[in-house]
Parts: sequence; structure tokens; C-alpha cells
Amino acid sequence: MSYAYLFKYIIIGDTGVGKSCLLLQFTDKRFQPVHDLTIGVEFGARMITIDGKQIKLQIWDTAGQEAFRSITRSYYRGAAGALLVYDITRRETFNHLTTWLEDARQHSNSNMVIMLIGNKSDLESRREVKKEEGEAFAREHGLVFMETSAKTAANVEEAFINTAKEIYEKIQEGVFDINNEANGIKIGPQHSPTNPSLPGAGGQGSSQGGSCC
Amino acid sequence: MAFLEWRKFNFFDLKANVDDGRIASLYKECDITVATSGNNQAVLGDSCGQIHIITRFWQVTTFRAYEFKVSLAKQLRSSPLLVTVGDDDVGINPLIKVWNTTRFDKNGIPYCCRVSRAIPGVNPVAVTTLCVHEELQLMAIGFMDGSLNLYRGEITRDRGSKQKVFRVASCAITGLAFQALGPAVFLFVATESSVYMYNITHKDKEHKISLDNMGCAKNCSVLAVYENLFMIGRNNAIYCYTIDGKGPCYAVDGEKVLLEWFRNYLVIVSTTNRPITQAVAGSSSQPTSQGHLITVLDIHNKFIVFSSVMEKVRTVFSEWGSFYIIDYNNNVYHLDEKDLQSKLALLFKKNLYDLAIRIAKSQQYDSYGLVDIYRQYGDHLYAKGGYEAAIEQYIKTIGRLEPSYVIRKFLDSQHIEYLTTYLQALHKQGQAPEDHTTLLLNCYTKLNNTDSLKEFILTKDNDLDFDVEIAIKVCRYGSPEEALMLAKKHAKHDWYIKIQIEDHEKYIEALQYISRLDFQNAENFMKKYGNILIEKEPHESTQFLKRLCTNYRPVDKTDGILNGITELNQNADAEDYIHLFLNNSERLVEFLEYLISEGCVLSSPVYDTLIEHYLHVWSALEAGPEKAKYTQKILKLLQTLEVKYDKPQALVVCHMHGFSEGIFYLYEEQKLYPQILRYHVSKGDESAVLACCRRFGHQEPSLWVQALWSCVRESNSPLIDILPEILTVIAKERLLSPQQVIEAIGIAKSDVTLGHIRSYITNELQKEHDIIENNTELIDKYQTDIEKLKQQVETLKNGVVVIQGSRCAACHHQLELPSLHFLCQHSFHHHCFQSFAENENECPACLPENKKLIELLKSREYNKDLHETFHSQLEKASDGFSLAAEYFGRSVFNKITVITDDETEKILSRAKKYDGYNQYNVLKAGNRIEESAKSNYGPSAEARIRLSENIRNTPKIISTSEGKMRLQEHQYSQSLEANITKYGTRGSSSKKSESDSQVIGKNPFEDDYDDSKNPFTDDEFDETNPFSDQYDKNLNPFEP
Ligand SMILES: Nc1nc2c(ncn2[C@@H]2O[C@H](COP(=O)(O)OP(=O)(O)O)[C@@H](O)[C@H]2O)c(=O)[nH]1
Ligand SMILES: [Mg+2]
Repeated sequence: MSYAYLFKYIIIGDTGVGKSCLLLQFTDKRFQPVHDLTIGVEFGARMITIDGKQIKLQIWDTAGQEAFRSITRSYYRGAAGALLVYDITRRETFNHLTTWLEDARQHSNSNMVIMLIGNKSDLESRREVKKEEGEAFAREHGLVFMETSAKTAANVEEAFINTAKEIYEKIQEGVFDINNEANGIKIGPQHSPTNPSLPGAGGQGSSQGGSCC
Repeated sequence: MAFLEWRKFNFFDLKANVDDGRIASLYKECDITVATSGNNQAVLGDSCGQIHIITRFWQVTTFRAYEFKVSLAKQLRSSPLLVTVGDDDVGINPLIKVWNTTRFDKNGIPYCCRVSRAIPGVNPVAVTTLCVHEELQLMAIGFMDGSLNLYRGEITRDRGSKQKVFRVASCAITGLAFQALGPAVFLFVATESSVYMYNITHKDKEHKISLDNMGCAKNCSVLAVYENLFMIGRNNAIYCYTIDGKGPCYAVDGEKVLLEWFRNYLVIVSTTNRPITQAVAGSSSQPTSQGHLITVLDIHNKFIVFSSVMEKVRTVFSEWGSFYIIDYNNNVYHLDEKDLQSKLALLFKKNLYDLAIRIAKSQQYDSYGLVDIYRQYGDHLYAKGGYEAAIEQYIKTIGRLEPSYVIRKFLDSQHIEYLTTYLQALHKQGQAPEDHTTLLLNCYTKLNNTDSLKEFILTKDNDLDFDVEIAIKVCRYGSPEEALMLAKKHAKHDWYIKIQIEDHEKYIEALQYISRLDFQNAENFMKKYGNILIEKEPHESTQFLKRLCTNYRPVDKTDGILNGITELNQNADAEDYIHLFLNNSERLVEFLEYLISEGCVLSSPVYDTLIEHYLHVWSALEAGPEKAKYTQKILKLLQTLEVKYDKPQALVVCHMHGFSEGIFYLYEEQKLYPQILRYHVSKGDESAVLACCRRFGHQEPSLWVQALWSCVRESNSPLIDILPEILTVIAKERLLSPQQVIEAIGIAKSDVTLGHIRSYITNELQKEHDIIENNTELIDKYQTDIEKLKQQVETLKNGVVVIQGSRCAACHHQLELPSLHFLCQHSFHHHCFQSFAENENECPACLPENKKLIELLKSREYNKDLHETFHSQLEKASDGFSLAAEYFGRSVFNKITVITDDETEKILSRAKKYDGYNQYNVLKAGNRIEESAKSNYGPSAEARIRLSENIRNTPKIISTSEGKMRLQEHQYSQSLEANITKYGTRGSSSKKSESDSQVIGKNPFEDDYDDSKNPFTDDEFDETNPFSDQYDKNLNPFEP
């Protein structure tokens, strides 16, 4: 599938806050109440349209456990956006945000767009973290904030798309170096300046190469 | 980190020694260096430069490929070509050789197509990896020093093949993989410390992309068929890359020795500290503490499908649909995948249904099997009390599993919510029969879930499929609002109206609804529900009916122009609705008056009804101006010509209500004067009686007779006073013979005194007297005539006749000889006679007269045969009476027949058909006066009565025929008389005889109203009534 841009996201946060569910909701539009633990980094992709442009979102859903930190850390670099997720029904996941943020800032490129997400907004009755607290944290650290529910799909699209919009704006502003793939942004095959459009299929192309020289 | 481990299942069996040790027997002195497979064979290279090609049945073909050793080998998957890299000398001197494994030379060695040196630069370097593109145009070799040779062009040919060297990294290349993606071709390159990707689509424009800054060991990278991931195995995890960069990562602990892709699985061989615990079936090796861990990972479903520690693994290959492992002792193991059923059984045992489903799906399990899993899963969840989840599973079985299986489980009232969900799903998939719709709607109502109900009902058009009627029926009791909505939405007018009327008693709404319907429907429903609507909402309903019957248009469509079509105005037949007003005369009157005022043409029953109800209202009113108004209204209606009401019925109704104005009008209109008279009589209003007789007497003379009867029948009749006047008229008009009058008065119960009738009797006697005198005179005259004739005869017979004629009777000229003379005093010229005479013996002048006489005489002789003819003629004759009269004229009935009273009775009962004549008989019977009084009004009156009885006799014919009869009768009597008086009174003209008969009243047919007397007794023929018999075959008068 052709795309104008490819944005890479990473979803981080304590285990059990609903990262995998958010991804599943975004990519498959479904909710799976019994979700397997993420062991390593899972991966999803979806096309969205911003400003009339097709944008492919490639999302890394990481395992939250400390044990996998070393694995997941390697994914920060190369991500243009991050969803930092906590669970509004578990305060400790909110309390760990600072650690996550530090980790992210340390290992990612400085322009990475980070969206703070308070998930499980459908469980209002069990809420432990007020929305205001999330807003305050976001303000303090220069993040965008949103409460979502992977179960009801509330705000899920918005969370991913708003992040993409912000990245897109940054590209327009020239903040991102789009030619450095380590920034988590890639220009689509057709749009790449390093990829001249030439006729011929791959296999044939290579055979031509072989025979003409 | 047990909690961070993958889920584990044992979907494989590891079988040892599948080759019977044949592979091991090949390697006595040297070791396997490389294994590759494809094109239905496995290929092993060894450290002595030999290549072993192994078939499925472990038959081995061995040949020497290199003098020193085989380092790398690649058997193409779908081509017999085998690419090897090895050394012919000790030291580093790598040579690429391409073999065609289907062509062997005479030494039994496969044909070697190509030999090229594999050197990345000036100096030879040890090779580490080899990769050949399946399209046989690309080949890459990685070296220890981190350089990479890319060969383009036909791999079987050295010449024309172009080699390009890339300096990838400073450490050894450990893994290579081509990936074609449409026209683009990529080469993944793993080194010991990094991962790169080259876009090699275009020659000399190769583009290097760094994917990661960590690498893997040799053999620890693989290209997965699954989502085209290039995987590298590191100690903590398997990292995956796509052409877009980093992909997922699977945390699998352990130092990786080897990665291989097999079907949908990633096979990982890693070092482990764990001892070899698992006793491998058929293993001959000694357990050692140092083994390798085999892990088979189902990447898609994210769990480990096999995990076992075994002898150290030297190499693996997958061919013939299976996976083979060769350990350091050259033992061959077969990693055998269990069949799906066993896998599922395993999962079911652990109640891992969702996994089972996932696996079944990924292996294209057939839908029946899947449904069965869903059902089992549902059952399992149900048993655990997870009803909601269970329903979720059951829903997936819809279409395959009998819904009743599920419904029965959830019929319990606590589960209704789940049941509802299921039923909803059933409907969504269009799998719900009526019963289920009913059930669902019942569920909704039981749950009081009106919102869902509404939603369900309203989404019908989109994706739910159910029987609307059923839904309405169900909703009707539980949630009538919805039922209404439903009915309205689906234009189930009948239901809508029914519910409004029967359940809600909202008659106005129902009416309004009807008024929005098109004509056809409006009409139908008004017919159906009109009764109750009129009863409950008389005003509104009447208004609506008015519209319906005059100029109907649905309320919403009043703007016909907007529709573009000016619809034909339709109006219903008022007759259909009249019965609705049964108990509401005022409304009906209002309704019908409106219709009439609108100029509708109504059918006669409608008018009848209107009249009836008018009268109903009228009779209910107190006397006063209102009543008078109604009287006028009714009369006006009755008198309106266009109003085609049924008169007899109107009469009946008027009678019922005692509406005398109407009665009179109707009587008069229908010329039922006797009725009027009777009415007056019954009221005892003598002046009215008299007035009535006077007014209509000239049209209906019998009125007088009737009046007479009325006078005398009742004792103390107040009408006695007018008796003289009546009698006067009767006498004057000769309505009854005096005898009849006397008789009538004689049997009267009233106190008629002689005083009342004296003048009448005197008058009558006087008249009789005159007649007798007249007759006597006539008799005398006739006798004189006869005498004269006798004399003439005598003269002719015996006397001398003097012929005095001097003129010819034919030409009236002077007689000349020869001439002829007849006794009748006619003389003719001979030539005149000849030209006139038909017969020599007869006088042509007298001939016609004579002939007539002779014929008459003859016909009298004829009698005997007549009876048959007469009957047959009578049968056919349209006017039987005149026929009979004619026969009578011919003196056919000369025989005397005695008629007794008994017989007359009989005749009476049979004679109905001959109404006109009955009266004789009836009257003759004498003792049936009552009845006769009834029929006394003459045939036309009776005809009318019969008409009103709807008996199709043809009384009219009779009445006219009677007229004709009279006419003809006159003629007959004339001719009779003429005949009879011929010789005597030639001069007596027919005029005279007619006047005679009139004056004297001898015409027997004038005597219709005469009773007890045979009208013919007065006649010369002196017979009993011949007519009484004509119609009675039993009393056939013609029988001798
Ligand atoms: N009620 C509710 N539960 C959620 C939501 N998101 C995730 N969960 C549940 O939280 C648990 C953990 O979700 P998961 O996505 O595996 O968390 P992760 O470890 O962050 O990937 C699962 O049992 C989900 O069912 C949500 O938005 N609402
Ligand atoms: Mg997760």
C-alpha cells in the first residue's frame, strides 16, 4: 500500500494499563477482554489520512515489565510519537509516569511527540486518578493529554490521529529531519527522492543488470 | 520469569532415528558442515568436500564437490539447482559451484554448471553466508570481513554474471535474505553487530539502510514467511525487521544457536543449562547434561507449540512437509506436527477454547468444525456461569447450530438479557423465524427494555429481518406504543387502527389515521371499524364519512397539484355505511342530508334508510315547529322525483311511525286509493271517506263499493250516515247490482235501517222494471220478426215468387235477355252473372251473406273436435279471455255444467294464476266475503299488492287484456246479435245493440263486480258460467 509518510509510534506504560488493547482497538476496531501479556514488542499498522495525505502508522506496543525494559528501550529511537499510557483505575501506573517519561526522553530523539493517555475511562466507578491530575501532569511536562477507553473505543482514534497530526505539523514546520529514519518518519516509496521511479519489475531489473554489464 | 513466558503447548512429537541411522553411517570420519533442502531432496555437505543428496526414503547419493571441504550450500526450493561454496585446497580459496542435480555425468556426479571464485576483494576471505534468490537471477555471499558479494545475472552462468562488492560492516556477515516486494527487491543483511537492508531493485543504485545496531550469530537469522519479517535471534529476544524498519520483537531467552522457519512456525535452537529431561522416543543417545533447547514458536498465535531439550543440534532442515533435526551424533530426529484434532483436543482439555478457535481458524478449519468449537466454548463458559461470554460464542454458531439449543439454555428468567442478545444476533443475521421474533419481543418487554425494543423495531429496514405482524402482535400487549409505531412504520393499517381502537380506545386517533390513508384503505377500514367509531365518536366519524362519500382525498395529500397528479376523486358508496348509524338516526340524517345536499346520487336503499330515520327522528319529536319542519322535510323528500326510494317500503315505514301525510302521499302517488279509503275508514272519518271517494271515485269506482262495505261491516260504524250517498253513486255508476247491494247490507253487522236504503231500492226497482219492459218489447218485436221469416220461408217453399226485378243486380242496367233470376229477387244479365258467379246455383249478391251463415252453422257442428284445439290454443294464447269469448260466440259451450260450491272452493285454490277471473269464483262462493273484499279493489289493486309482494305474476297483462277483452266482447256480442237478428231486423245496427248492451247491462263482462250471479243467465243462451271451468282441467267442461 502506498503512503506519503510512515510514522512510527511506540506505546509505553506499566503493564496492564491497556496498551495492547488500545492498539487492537485502533488497528482492528475490536476489544479483547482477555488479552495475552505482551512478551517483547508487538506490532500493528494502519493507514490514516491527514490533510488529504495517506499516512501509515506503524505502532510498537511494548511490554510494560521492567524485565523487558532493555528490549523496549531499543525501540524508542526510531519512534516519532509515543503514547504514554496509564490506567485511571490504578494510581501506581500514574505514579510511574515520571520514570517512563525520563526513559523515553533519554532514549528517544528530542522531537518525539508524546501523548499522555489515561485509559479505561469507561471504568468511571473505579477511577483513582482524576482527569485533572492527568491534565496537570501533561501540562507540566509539555504533553498532549487524553482519556480513552479501549473497551468502548472512546477517544482511541483521536489519540492516535491527534498524535499523527502533531507530527505532521512538526514536519511542515521543518522540525523533523524526514530523511533520517531514526526519527521514526519515512517518506513513502513513491515520494522518496532517493528512489527514482524506473520501469521494470524487480526480478527482471536485476537480470537486466546482470546481462548488460 | 515464569509470568513473562509464552504460553506453551505440545503440538509436536519429536521422533528419533527416523532414518534408521543411515545418515550417521555416512559420517564416520568427517562432520556435517551444512544442510540445505528443497526440490524434494535434502542436501548435506561435509568437512571432506562431499555432498550427499538424500531422498525422502533416505536413499543417499554422494559425490565429491570439493577437494577439501564444503562450507555453504543452498538447494533451491523449486529448481534442481544446488549452489555450493567450498574449498578445493587447504587454506582459503572459496569457489562457488552451481550443480544441476538432475543431470549426472558418467561418474554419477551431478552436472556442474558454473564455477566462480568467491572473493570480495584482492585477498580471499572465508565465506560465512550464502543466499540465492529463487528466481535464479540474484545471489549473495557474505564474508568474514563484513563484505558482501552480490551477483546479478543467471546464476548458472559465470559469464554475464556481474558481481558487486559491498563493505557492509567491519564484522562478519552472519545472515542474508532476499525479499522481493512487487518490483522492488531488498536484501536483508545481518552482521554480528548490526542489521542492514539494501534496496537492490536497480543495479548500481543500491541503497543501504540501517535497521538496527545489534546483530546476531551465524545461522541465527531467518526470513519468515509470516508477514515477511527478517528475524535475528539474540540472547534476550528475537527481533524482527520489515523493509520499513524495526518490527515486533519476541522475548525468548537463551543464547541462540540456530533459527529456522517451518510452515508457520519459528524453530529456535538455543543453548540451555537444563538437562535433557525429555526422553525422546527411540533415542539411542546417552543423556548428557549439555544439550540444546528446541523451541517452536507460533508467531501468529503467540505461543510456544513445542519446547524440548535434546542432544546438541548440528543442523536442521525442513523438507517433505516435515522438520528434521540432526544432532552432533548425526542422529536424525523428526519433529512431527500433531493433527489439528489432537491439538484441539489438547486445548479443550485445558478449556482454552479461544485459542482452539484461533488455531482452527489459522489452519482453515471448516466452518462446521469451528461452529462446534464455538458451541463447546459456549457450553464451557455457560457451565462456569459466564453467560455473557457464552452468548458471545453461541452467536458465532448462528446459521449452523440449531438456535433452540441455545435458547433452551437461556430461557430461564435470569438469563433473559443474554437470550435477548442472542436473539438479536439471530435477527441481524436473518436467521430468525417468527417464533424467535416473538420471543425476542417478549424478552424486551419483560426486561422493560423499551429503548432496545424501539431500536429493534425501527432498524427493521436496515439489517433486521423479522415478521412485522408477529412483532406487532407481541408488542401489542407488552408495549403498545411500540406496536403502534411498528404498525405505522410498516403501514400495517389494520393493526394500527385495531390497536388504537381496541386497546387504547383512541377513536379520534384512529379516525385521523384512517383519514390519512388512500381511498381504498380508508374505505375498507371505515367499513371494518365504522361501527365502533360511530358509536364512540359520532361527530368526527360522521364528518369523516361525509368526506369519504363525497370527495375523498387523504388528509396529507390535499395538495393534489403538488403531487403532479390530480387524482380522481373517489367516493364511497353511502349504502355501505348506513348500517353504521343503526342507533343514531340523527347522525344518519345529518350524514345523508349532507350527501344529498352535495348532489350525490344515492341508491334507493339509502333513501329508504333516510326516510326511515327521518321518521324515526320525527316520531321522537314533540309536536311543534320542529316536528312540522321534519314533516315538510320528509314530504319533500318523498315528492322529489330524483329520489328513488322504494315506495312500498316507505309506505311501511310511514305506517310504522303513523306518518299519515306520507302515507297519503304515497297512496295517492301509487293510486292506492282503496288504501286511502281504508285508512280514513279505520279512522272513522266519514267526511274524509266521502271526500276520498269523490276525489278518486272516477278513477277507481270500486272505492264506492269499498266504502259501502266499510259502512256495513262494522256495527255502529259511524259511516252509516253517508250510506245513502254511497248507494246513490253505486246505483248511478252501476257498480254493484242491486242484488249484491242488498245482500251486502243483509249480512251487515251494522245497524242499517231501511231508511238508509229505501230510496236506493226504490230507484233500483224502478230501473229493473224499466228494463223488463224494454225486454218484453224486444221479445215481442223479435217474435214478430220470426213470424215474418217463417212466412217468407213458407212462401219460398210453397208460394209463387214473382220476379219483378227489371235491373241487373250486378250492373244495374236494364235487364236484357238472356237473364237469370233468383228466388232472392236478384236478377242478372247472363254475362254479368257469369262474370260474377262462383257457382251456378247461387246468387252472387247473396253469396257472401249466405256463406257466413253456412259457416256459422258448420262451425256449430264442429263442436266435437273443438275441445282439444281450444285447450291448446288457450295454452298459447296471450289473451285467453278473448279466445274463450270467441268460442263462446261459436256456441261451443252449449252444454250445461253444474258447478257446486265445493268445486268452486277447489277452483279458488287453484285459480291464483288467473287473478282476473278469480273474483267470480270468490264471489260466487259467497261465504268468503272477507277475502273477496280484499280482492274487491279489482285486478289492478291486487296486482299492485302482488307487486309489492314481489311475486312475478303478470297482473298488468291481465288488466290490459281485460280491456281488450271487453272491446272484443263488444264485437262478439255485436256480431252475434247481428247474426241472430239478421233475418228479422236487418236494420238493427250494431250501434244499437251496443247501446243496448250498455244500457241494459247485458254485457257479461261489465259484471266484474257482480257477485253470486252468473252474468250470462240473462242471456239468450242461458248458461251457467262457462268461464269458471276454463281453467280447471279437472272440471273440463268439454268432456261429454
Ligand atoms: N474496562 C476496560 N478494561 C481495559 C481497557 N483497556 C484494557 N483493559 C483491560 O486491561 C487488561 C490489560 O490490558 P492490556 O492491553 O493487555 O494491557 P497492557 O499490558 O498494557 O498491554 C486487559 O484485561 C483488558 O481487558 C479499557 O479501556 N477499559
Ligand atoms: Mg500488552
